[in-house]
Amino acid sequence: MKVLVAVKRVIDYNVKVRVKPDNTGVDLTNVKMAMNPFCEIAVEEAVRLKEKGVATEIVVVSIGPKAAQEQIRTALALGADRGIHVETDEEIQSLAAAKLLKAVVDKEQPSLVILGKQSIDNDNNQTGQMLAALAGYPQGTFASEVSVDGDKVKVTREIDGGLMTVSLNLPAIVTTDLRLNEPRYASLPNIMKAKKKPLESTTPADLGVDVTPRLTTLKVEAPAQRQAGIKVADVAELVDKLKNEAKVI
Amino acid sequence: MAKNGIGFALSLVNKFASSDLVDKLKIRKPAEKIAYASTRAGFQIASSASQGLQQVRNMLTNPFQLHKPEKSDLFDLSLSDEQQLIRDSLRRFAIEKIRTEAAKTNDNPTTLSNENTPLQTAFNDLGIIEYAIPEAYGGLAQVASPVGNVLIAEDLSYGDMGIALSLMNNFCAANIISRWGTSDQQASYLPALLGENPLRATLAVNEPAPLFNPMQMQTKAIPEDGGYRLIGKKSLVCQGMDAEIFIVAASLPDGQSRLFLLDSSIDGLLRKPEPTMGIKAANTARLKLDNIFVPTHACIGNDNFNWQLCLDLGAVMWCGMAIGTSQAMLDYVIPYCNERKAFGEPISHRQSVAFMIADMATEVEAMRLLTYRAAARIEQGLDSTRETYLAKLYCADKSVKIATDGVQLLGGHGFTKEHPVERWYRDLIAITVQFNTLHA
Repeated sequence: MKVLVAVKRVIDYNVKVRVKPDNTGVDLTNVKMAMNPFCEIAVEEAVRLKEKGVATEIVVVSIGPKAAQEQIRTALALGADRGIHVETDEEIQSLAAAKLLKAVVDKEQPSLVILGKQSIDNDNNQTGQMLAALAGYPQGTFASEVSVDGDKVKVTREIDGGLMTVSLNLPAIVTTDLRLNEPRYASLPNIMKAKKKPLESTTPADLGVDVTPRLTTLKVEAPAQRQAGIKVADVAELVDKLKNEAKVI
Repeated sequence: MAKNGIGFALSLVNKFASSDLVDKLKIRKPAEKIAYASTRAGFQIASSASQGLQQVRNMLTNPFQLHKPEKSDLFDLSLSDEQQLIRDSLRRFAIEKIRTEAAKTNDNPTTLSNENTPLQTAFNDLGIIEYAIPEAYGGLAQVASPVGNVLIAEDLSYGDMGIALSLMNNFCAANIISRWGTSDQQASYLPALLGENPLRATLAVNEPAPLFNPMQMQTKAIPEDGGYRLIGKKSLVCQGMDAEIFIVAASLPDGQSRLFLLDSSIDGLLRKPEPTMGIKAANTARLKLDNIFVPTHACIGNDNFNWQLCLDLGAVMWCGMAIGTSQAMLDYVIPYCNERKAFGEPISHRQSVAFMIADMATEVEAMRLLTYRAAARIEQGLDSTRETYLAKLYCADKSVKIATDGVQLLGGHGFTKEHPVERWYRDLIAITVQFNTLHA
């Protein structure tokens, strides 16, 4: 069974994000980039499927600038077999990403596509769902457990107030939630082997996809600074403030 | 039996071996590599003269030498893709797995005595040891890479220096044997240092002498028929109470120095705990070598052995340790000083604080550049002693300054165990005295 995993290059989750002075976006100069944590979980899940003997080949795909190859190499070092890099310097919005992934899915014909539920830069939570619609595959989103059985995959989903388990016919799309697994550390032998694994490069034009953004970003703002707390003299003042200022009682 | 390569290796092991050690050599996982597989078979069938033994004997006549990597014409201080991937993986490991254990291990230094702790197992899964062992013996190393080794030391020490030292014991022993060992020593010990339940080795150089100078060691190796007598004391030996194999440095009557492989159960070897101010997780011990007889083949290396280079390879690794912990200190004090408020503003707004941090940042970077350059020269096979000693001097000097400043910047909090800086302070002092354990 072939598994396709999509990974995205994003700002490292440890970095304190700064907004550009002109409010057009987030400042990316000299900022450490890394693989989106949900994508790491997706890679880990695919590698575990391979270790169980369920998956036979793991193909990892990333869309983005030349430097996104670093994230593909990381995925290869974690255990993926080969990489596909869709190289573009354009802004790629969810729909464009889904269309590009659809083109890759058409070419590769994987039985299972695993994606992160969202990327921590834009938090859109759209690409997996859009890809499912475009490809006509069933989808299991927010997965906290995945098990493949024959030509079906059982996905336990984290939903408001509990868990929902769905059974999907393969080929299918799965998007990962935080609790699906704990990604491993790339071992040195695997890092050394990753160098020799094939990495194919292509472009949106080669895949015949128009990636023109459909949305325009008007403004990006940092969250408002939290105000310092104040001391109240007595209970009466506290109740008064809760009632009239905070309006919570 | 002692006439053929593998028999020779076996006798070497059996002679000092407790049965425990032989068990370890026997239960190695099967490996793909022919030399390793045949060596192991050799151990199991001992003296049966099969074709396999003949094959191995031919293969092991000469020790395996890792060659040096290709020289790049570019002036390039950036990490290679591979080094960067290793750094990303190890830094995360250092923060998530090592640093979280650091306080506990500091309070209870015997925590790492058990070889099957979750930390040790997780570390073995990283496969770092394979970076030190040639492919012929079950590892993956293709070139000797002191620079890569220094980066590993730096990244692990970013988590905790004492734990890093304990975890790296076998890696460094493998480096020594890969670089200097005879073919018999390589065949016996390298595969045994791999795997899930490896031999535990450590290097002992330091001595409890005033102004200890590794070029004039008090530990003597006196040649006699069929071997040497070892007499002397070794101090601050990392994981010395639990090691199964010691690599002990001693000087010959002609003033040259050599390393000797000793099994922990050998007659005349006494050890006792020697607790220290810092690097407590290394659970250091004092050794007494009371007229120990070792056979000639326990001596590591032949005429190719170069004590000065051996010391240099250890020194650059200690510099790596210094850089890792100093960087940890720097990365800790910056957010602290930006958040800690005094007189209505962050303390980093005070020049006396900001200047200290700027100095720390500059010094860590300078330590790094001096060390990488020394390691790169060793890697290229160029003269490196001067560069190594400049790096070691600078790292020792600035480690102590960064340690002091780091504690100072946290004020009274720095003195408490609430923050890790007091531990890093104690660890960084080790840079000024240590020669043990490490080898690139």
